[in-house]
Order: sequence, then structure tokens, then C-alpha cells
Amino acid sequence: MTNSDDMRWWYVPLEIVMLRRWLVAAFIMNVLLLAVDYLRAESDLLLLGIISCLLFAALRASLPNVNDTLRRDISLVLSAALLGIAVYRLLRTDPTIFNIWIHCWSLLPSGLTLFWLSGRPVTVWTSRKLSDSAIEYGLMRNANLSKIYHATSTHITLLHFVAITVIPLIWIIDIAFSEGNALGGQIGDSFTTEHFSKILNGDSFWTWFRNSLIVSIGTALLGLFIAIPAGYAFSRYKFTGRDASMFSFLLVQMFPGIIILVPYFMVMKTLGLLNSHLGLILAYCVTALPLCVWMLKGFFDTIPRELEEAAALDGCNQFQVFTKVVLPLSTPAIAVTALFSFLAAWNEYLLALTFNTSNDMYTLPVGLASLISSTGQAWGDFAAASLLVSLPVALLFLFFQKFLIDGLSAGGVKG
Amino acid sequence: MVSVEFEQVNKQYEDGFQAVQNLTLDIKDKEFLVLLGPSGCGKSTTLRMLAGLEDVTGGNIRIDGMKVNHLPAGARGLGMVFQSYALYPHMSIHDNLSFGLRMMKGTDKLDGNEISKRVKEIAQLLELDDHLDKKPKELSGGQRQRVALGRALVRRPKVLLMDEPLSNLDAELRHQMRNEIRRLHDELGTTTIYVTHDQIEAMTLADRIAILDKGELQQHCAPMEAYHNPANDFVRSFLCKHIDDLVDTANALFKKPEEVNE
Ligand SMILES: Nc1ncnc2c1ncn2[C@@H]1O[C@H](COP(=O)(O)OP(=O)(O)OP(=O)(O)O)[C@@H](O)[C@H]1O
Ligand SMILES: [Mg+2]
Repeated sequence: MTNSDDMRWWYVPLEIVMLRRWLVAAFIMNVLLLAVDYLRAESDLLLLGIISCLLFAALRASLPNVNDTLRRDISLVLSAALLGIAVYRLLRTDPTIFNIWIHCWSLLPSGLTLFWLSGRPVTVWTSRKLSDSAIEYGLMRNANLSKIYHATSTHITLLHFVAITVIPLIWIIDIAFSEGNALGGQIGDSFTTEHFSKILNGDSFWTWFRNSLIVSIGTALLGLFIAIPAGYAFSRYKFTGRDASMFSFLLVQMFPGIIILVPYFMVMKTLGLLNSHLGLILAYCVTALPLCVWMLKGFFDTIPRELEEAAALDGCNQFQVFTKVVLPLSTPAIAVTALFSFLAAWNEYLLALTFNTSNDMYTLPVGLASLISSTGQAWGDFAAASLLVSLPVALLFLFFQKFLIDGLSAGGVKG
Repeated sequence: MVSVEFEQVNKQYEDGFQAVQNLTLDIKDKEFLVLLGPSGCGKSTTLRMLAGLEDVTGGNIRIDGMKVNHLPAGARGLGMVFQSYALYPHMSIHDNLSFGLRMMKGTDKLDGNEISKRVKEIAQLLELDDHLDKKPKELSGGQRQRVALGRALVRRPKVLLMDEPLSNLDAELRHQMRNEIRRLHDELGTTTIYVTHDQIEAMTLADRIAILDKGELQQHCAPMEAYHNPANDFVRSFLCKHIDDLVDTANALFKKPEEVNE
């Protein structure tokens, strides 16, 4: 008796449950999208947008409860009004993909609300006292449908994130393959590889590429060479000044790069390392080391000491314990660290610009920037070159993917 | 002939904690000695000092009469089984077993044939033949335990050290492995030091037991003698009373149905 009463309170049709969440999302999105109307300075559309937002809030507040026909009717009216406004706004604007996407954010939620609230499950739930078997059926239906609805909302969210990352990329790709060096035009309206051939055939690009490669690989190797022993020492040994030096590593990271730029420059100048690969490699190592050391220390900490003790009993000396047991177990972490310092060096601009004054010594980022100013806004060349720069990085990520996942989910040595 | 002697051995950790005090102990050739005591009494510390994993801060440890205080762990010719097994995760079982053999130095250095022969031998002895190509994480707990045992034995150690090797196994498997360890000892005759805090394990395995408390040796004799003639109150309560209680519980458990029948 009480049992079925309890169930009556617990049972809410899945449609209502989902609407309670989705309408909040729709409200937030519509508020954000008001910015578009505002920027376009269309005051009547902006007004309608604001009204839509208010209506969404009202709709969310008026969603019905059990045995609540009045609120259901109010909700129906509100969603019908919203749908009307949405259709009107859609017709008023140009039918571009972007506009359609914007209006989907009010069209779909209001349409769906109208459809679901007038549907049988909600109608029955709001208007009658349900029998036990009806509730049982409803709960089962909820369980079956909820997977689908959840998957749908997850995918819509993910699609938005994908779009955010991919659209700029598509844009760049389009510019790189479009004729002329100006921005603008529709996506895919022209196709040419002139920018690529121009860059690839010019001497400068390959010089810059070579410089970047030397500096980045040098940084990764030198960084590992220092960070691995340092991380191991920090992880395994107690020595005077251990904590202090770990902290001082972090201290350096607290300053923005521009502050150390001038001292760096003086040091490099005194050492005669301006316009040299070594100078950049040293500077990048100093910046990348703290993080590398901390990352590797963290990983070494997860390798049980007993493994090393077992190796010692098996006849290894300290160096062999390290090379035969610790290092092979750390390959994922080492790969991640190497990749990290490589990328830091590959993308760095400020130091490379300051230390190198001749075109021969430019790294890719510096060279690319010079492309824009020297040839006067050569956007097409620039986009093509950017793609060429990102290609090795993308390949590197592809290659290291497995290691990356292993390295980031470290501590896999247990058992 | 292998013998191990502890002479007035002390261990003080860097933080000043005195983990072992004036420990004098001798282990005879082919003996199975069990170090027994409550948690934190210094059993592992004692074993690790003998293994060379922990510095001795006072006294001497001798193996075959030779002072080994400052000999590196690998040079002492000991095998150790860790509680967590500590198998090398990146190596196959075969490589785990052969690693110690490949690391042998000087006159002990073995050639490839000898190494694979020894690995095969030990794998057969421990019924690991079918698993030699697997990685440790593909084995069950009991199998890993046997690999750990095999890795310690394959170097034909002078002394086999075991630190609570069975505590990660379920009751059934523990019982089975306990018998196996004793059988292996009788078969190979390796001098063995076995650390446990389980009184029953100690009683069933040991030739002699050394009972420790708070870093000090309480009694060192055959297990039955310790049970019948406890040297002091600690041994009486830790060993005798504990075993008597177990027996009482067991008896009570099995008597009940009969009483009901009567
Ligand atoms: N590295 C260390 N530094 C300081 N004190 C330590 C250290 N290792 C162990 N101890 C202390 O020494 C004492 C003995 O430790 P030990 O590991 O030998 O105990 P145990 O008898 O093996 O105990 P258990 O049965 O729990 O393994 C403990 O009180 C412990 O806190
Ligand atoms: Mg212990």
C-alpha cells in the first residue's frame, strides 16, 4: 500500500526528467547566443531573443509535477509561443549554417517540449492516478530509454567541442588552399596548392625547419639527459638541500618568460651563444626542466623500492639497477617528458626571436611571423606554412599516442 | 657448509628509532629458522640487514665466518622472496628467473646453456613450465609467489630469505604453499630464514624459531620447546596462549553438534 504510493512519488516520466536538464542547457545557450544578435545590432531580433530566454526560464519553472494538468497546460502554451518565435527568427535571418545552428537552440528544445508534453506518457501521468502496473511499465520504459537520451545529450555536447576545435582548423586549411593571399571568401570556393609549392620551394622554409628540428630534438635529448638522473635522485635519495632545490625549480616557473628574457640575452651574449642552436637549446632546457624533473620524479615514486632491492640481490650494482629495471619500466613517462620538451621548443617564439637575428638561424615560428610582415600579410602563405609546421607535431602525437596514455595513467607497475 | 651468525647486532634508523637491539643469533647449515614476532618488532629489519638492504649500525653479521657488514647485497650469495613478490613487470617469467643468473660475475659467470638449463630445472620444480613466456601480471597470485620463490632459488643461494611470503595468498593456497616450501627445503637443503607473524606457520615450518619483541630476542629454540617451556611472559602470551586459544575455539566449534545430539 505505502509501497505503491512511494512508487507513485518516485515515478517521473523520462521526458520530464530530461526536459528539466535540457531546458536549463537551452536557457544558458540562448543567453550566450544573445551576444550574436547584440553584435549584429539587430534590436528587434535581440528583443525577441531576450523574450525567448525569459520564456525558457518560465518554461523550466512551470514543468508539471504528478497530477498537475494546470502546469502542463501552461508549459504547453509557453513552448508553443517559443516555437513560434523561433520559427519567426529563423525566417528573418539568412539561412547560413551558423544561423540555422543558432536557431536550433531554441527551435529544438521548444519543439521537443511541445511534442513530449502532449505525448501520452506525460498526459497520463499528469491527469490520472496511475495504477501500479502502469507505474511498473513506466519505470521499465524509463530505464530502456534513458540510455538513448543520455547518449544523445552526450553526443550533442561532444559535437560542439569537436566543432570548436575543428572549425578553426578547417578555416586554416581552406585559406591555405585558396587562391590569393587575402582573407575572406566561402569555404571551398577555390583550390590551389600555390602557397604550398611556394613555401616548399623557397630556401627559407627548409632552413627554418632544420633549425627547429635541431633545436627541438636537442632540447628533448639534453632535457632527458638531465631530467632522468635528477628525477631519480629526487625520488630515491635524501640529501641536503633536496626540498629546497625542488622548490627552487618551481620558483623559476613563477616568473613570466619576459622577465628572464633580458638576463638570458645578456648571458647568451657574454657566452657568444647568440645566433646559435646551442644557445636556444640551453635556454629551452632551463625552462622545460622543472616540469620534466617533477613529472619523472612523480613516476619514479610509483616504482616500488622492492623491485630495486630484488635487482640488487640479483647481483646488479646501482647503475645496473637503474638501467635494467627502472629505465625499462619508465619508458612511457620518459616518452611523455621528451614529447613535452620537444613541443615546448618547437612552438617557442619569444626567445627564438630575441636570440636570433639572422634569417639563417630562425626557427619555424619566428620565420613564419617574418613571412607575414615582410611580404605584407601573406595570409595564404602563412596558413600553408602553419599547416606544414603542425604536421610533424600531429605525426608525433599519433606515434606517441599509446605511450601518452600509458604515461599519463602512470603507476602501472603494480602487481 | 653454510652458517649465519648475528653478533650483538643493532639497528638504529636515521630518525633515531632502535629497531633491533643486541641481537645474537646463529643459524646452522641446512636449518629452517623462523623469525616470529608481532608486527613492528624488527623481523623485516633483521632480515634486510642480513640481505644487505639495510646498514648495520652495531655488531657483526657473519656468513660462513666471514664478516659481511659492508659487502654489497648482490655479493652475499643470498636469495630473497619479498612479501609483494617484486617480480620485474617488464620481463617474461623466463627472464625474471634468468635475470639473477645473467648478472653473475667473475668465476660464477654462467654460459647461455647453463642458464637455460637451470631455468628449466627450477621451472619444472615449481610447475611453471607452461608460463615461461608470460608476463607477471598474467599470472595468478599463487603462480607469482612460485616465480618469486624460483627467482630466489635459481641462483642456488647460500641462504634463502623469505619475508612473509604467503601473506598475500588465500587460506587454502597458503596452506598448500607452506607445505611446498617445507618440501623444497627438505629436497634442496637450502639454509632458510623465514619471517612471519603467524604462530601456526612458524610452528609447522620451523626447525627452530627465534621469537622477537620490540627489537629484542625473547627465545631461540625448537618450536615445541618454546611452546612447552616459554622463556618469559611475552612468549607465554604470544605463542602458548595464542595456540591454546585457537585449539579451544576449534574444539568448541566441533563439539557443538554433538552436544545438541545428546
Ligand atoms: N626506514 C625506517 N625508518 C625508521 N623506522 C623504521 C624504518 N623501517 C622500519 N622502521 C621501524 O622499525 C620497526 C621494525 O620494523 P620492521 O619492518 O622490521 O617490523 P616487522 O617486524 O617486519 O613488522 P611487520 O610484521 O609488520 O612487517 C617498526 O617499528 C618500524 O616503524
Ligand atoms: Mg615486515
